[in-house]
Amino acid sequence: MFAYIVRRIAQSFIVLLAVSLICFAIFQFMGDPVLTLAGRYATQEQQEMVRRSLGLDKPFYTQYLAFLGNAAHGDFGLSYVTQVPVLRLIFERLPASIELAVTAMFLSLFLGIALGVVSSLKPHSPGSRVIMTGSLFGISLPTFLVGILLILIFAVLLRVLPPFGRGRVVKVVGNWRTGFLTIDGLRHLILPALTLGMYQLAVLLRLTRGGMLEALQEDYTRTAWAKGLSQRIVMFKHALRNVLIPVVTIAGLQMGELIAFSIVTESIFQWPGSGNLLLTSIYETDHPVIVAYVMITALIVLTINIFIDILYGILNPKISYD
Amino acid sequence: MKRLALLAAGGLLIIGLVGILSISGFAAKDTIIVAVGAPPQTMNPHGSDSDCNLGVVANIFEGLLQRDTSGTLLPALATSWERVNELTWRFHLRQGVKFHNGNDFTWEDVKYTMERLRIPYPVSEFLAFGGLIVSVETVDGDPWIIDIVTTTPTSYFDQNLHQVFIMDKESTESRSIGEIGEYPIGTGPYKFVEWIKGSYLKLEANEDYWDGPPSVKYAELRPVTEPSTRVAAIATGEVDVLQDIPVELFDTVAKNANLEVVTRPARRSIWLGLRNEPGFPTSDIRVRKAMYMAINEDEIIEKVMFGHAFPCAQIPDPPTVGYDAGIERLPYDPEMAKQLLAEAGYPDGFKIKFTGPNDRYVRDEQIAQALASQLAKVGIEVELDTKPKAVYFPEMDEHGLDFYLLGWFDGSYDFGRSFTKLLHSVDAEAGFGGLNGSSYKSIALDRLLEASAEIVDPALRGEALRLLNKVAMQEKIAIIPLHYQEDSYAIYKGRGISFTPRSDTWIVFKEMSIKK
Repeated sequence: MFAYIVRRIAQSFIVLLAVSLICFAIFQFMGDPVLTLAGRYATQEQQEMVRRSLGLDKPFYTQYLAFLGNAAHGDFGLSYVTQVPVLRLIFERLPASIELAVTAMFLSLFLGIALGVVSSLKPHSPGSRVIMTGSLFGISLPTFLVGILLILIFAVLLRVLPPFGRGRVVKVVGNWRTGFLTIDGLRHLILPALTLGMYQLAVLLRLTRGGMLEALQEDYTRTAWAKGLSQRIVMFKHALRNVLIPVVTIAGLQMGELIAFSIVTESIFQWPGSGNLLLTSIYETDHPVIVAYVMITALIVLTINIFIDILYGILNPKISYD
Repeated sequence: MKRLALLAAGGLLIIGLVGILSISGFAAKDTIIVAVGAPPQTMNPHGSDSDCNLGVVANIFEGLLQRDTSGTLLPALATSWERVNELTWRFHLRQGVKFHNGNDFTWEDVKYTMERLRIPYPVSEFLAFGGLIVSVETVDGDPWIIDIVTTTPTSYFDQNLHQVFIMDKESTESRSIGEIGEYPIGTGPYKFVEWIKGSYLKLEANEDYWDGPPSVKYAELRPVTEPSTRVAAIATGEVDVLQDIPVELFDTVAKNANLEVVTRPARRSIWLGLRNEPGFPTSDIRVRKAMYMAINEDEIIEKVMFGHAFPCAQIPDPPTVGYDAGIERLPYDPEMAKQLLAEAGYPDGFKIKFTGPNDRYVRDEQIAQALASQLAKVGIEVELDTKPKAVYFPEMDEHGLDFYLLGWFDGSYDFGRSFTKLLHSVDAEAGFGGLNGSSYKSIALDRLLEASAEIVDPALRGEALRLLNKVAMQEKIAIIPLHYQEDSYAIYKGRGISFTPRSDTWIVFKEMSIKK
């Protein structure tokens, strides 16, 4: 197990290197930041001056090596646009994204598993059919449409929930501001979390239901029924526990995606998270922010994957990694 | 039994929570919340020269001069000013002004600011303007009168001073660039409270403002980039004023009984550049006229812009020095266009490549498509090449385009400055023609511009620039003008908010008020 983890961590570093290299390669085609940074009326000479001050006059590999050297010391430079250290900019935004992703994850995990179990009990009842049809919508509707529809229904027509933003936040530690502790913050969280978690919810629901239907046919379940165990114990302890392995894997993999790719949801709800920052930065050709963001999310996704592998082993001791 | 009680308690809790959650509370009104389409980028007042940023930091900082809603230049940190000679500008500074940190405003701050403009990234996007300044000195030792000397005769020098914000020397020198970019200290009518990037910027009235405290106590600016969410923001009353109604959703907003819509022609004009290098069909004035007359601008405004644009006949807008109300558009006349093409030797038309942005101006790509189909009717085959602005603008910098689309307005309200950048023959060393996408060249126009630069008297110079404008637009057809965009705002009714849109689209809270 230990050797496996070490190997995985070593692989992660290679992935991070590759990711940063790809970012740098893409920057060559992303447009020239100097044109805006020197100002609208700058002469060519002044533009060159800015290019030199940014080190962009140097060849590609020199720039890349300099970046790696600084990054190794935790220095990702200043944002071209805000002129603020990039890491500060991203860490300031990350809490919002994490809170949104965690809420979306919990919503989809609990609702998905619960509805999946319910619909597997009596698979042909009208209630189950409604749930299954609903899950089809969750899978097939694109996120931006779900978001816009939710805003239209709950914010504009019914006026029960706010249409955008994060509401009132409270500072907890350092730069971590949370919306969990205020009513206004929670109200603002509902719609974007639902939007972000909708697809996940549908996937987990269908996965749970499929697994449950199968598990309920298995010999061990039948034995459990025959022993006269209560429905609760059979369902949860025998059937569901076996079903959970693939569900947890998928949920975990998607957790990373929820943080990294909440861009669409964040931009629809003007959620001040890191996805929103990435989008603005791409629009403003703010290279240092883009590369740091991509590397940090790659790191998050990699870490989560390693944790999932470990969790796997705990959930099912039969699995080993040697 | 116990289970039932637990269930009931849980149920009550949920109902209670939902009840609390769905109460939306609005406190007594002493705050104006404005939603804008583009987020402010930095609180370093020289770190961005875009209007969406200048228009925000203008609440915290002030220049030596300022502009009112219509664009008229007024005193601010300078009480009066004059051009002493070709190179020298004299300013009488306002006394008794304090920065938000308590420091006094002095002539040294002005000197420091003007020198700061010259420092490239990460400090200033005003390099060109900063490079013009030779010295800032007091006159006869009086610290409240200063002379600013420029390298070359710069007739628009004062016209630009409303966007050159004066910074506090002491606190700017002692803080890191990161801190300056996040925590601004100015002399303006509002003090900085908090900036959560991507979420909001909060400001509080400066009770010690030299012009008296502003009428609205708290001001909040919220960026909402997604067009449909921006409309939802004002439709639900979450914000009081909305800047930039998306044209696609304009009717939805206009029909909403809770909202009042205010529009005005934007400063930005959209126009087409054309190569005039000998050998190109478009170097023939008849061809240029033919293309102009083949474009049905009314149709573009009606069909592409949904009626939200105003035809224009020149690049500058009315408040700009050099604007000439007498210039008229060539009429839409495809028959005449065909005849002119035949006279020029292109009875069957010709092929031309059009390059333009697809994410920069309102419906820019659709405008290009409309142009292509209109020009096809007189036989000109347009090969469309539209691309993201991040790719388009560097291409424009190479000066090799045949036919292109650009939007422009002059932040310093001076057509001479625009002309130098847009249509003067390209001279990289002198900094001329930086955005002249097709290397347009007219010696006559260049001479006219150079002559105007030496005129000190503002009225005479205005005349000279008007002449330059008229010759460029009517005789040379240097460009084909299309339209001014429209600035649009929605205001939530019944909250007593008074708001007048500015010609420069800046959001200046001290001009707003709330009726109690």
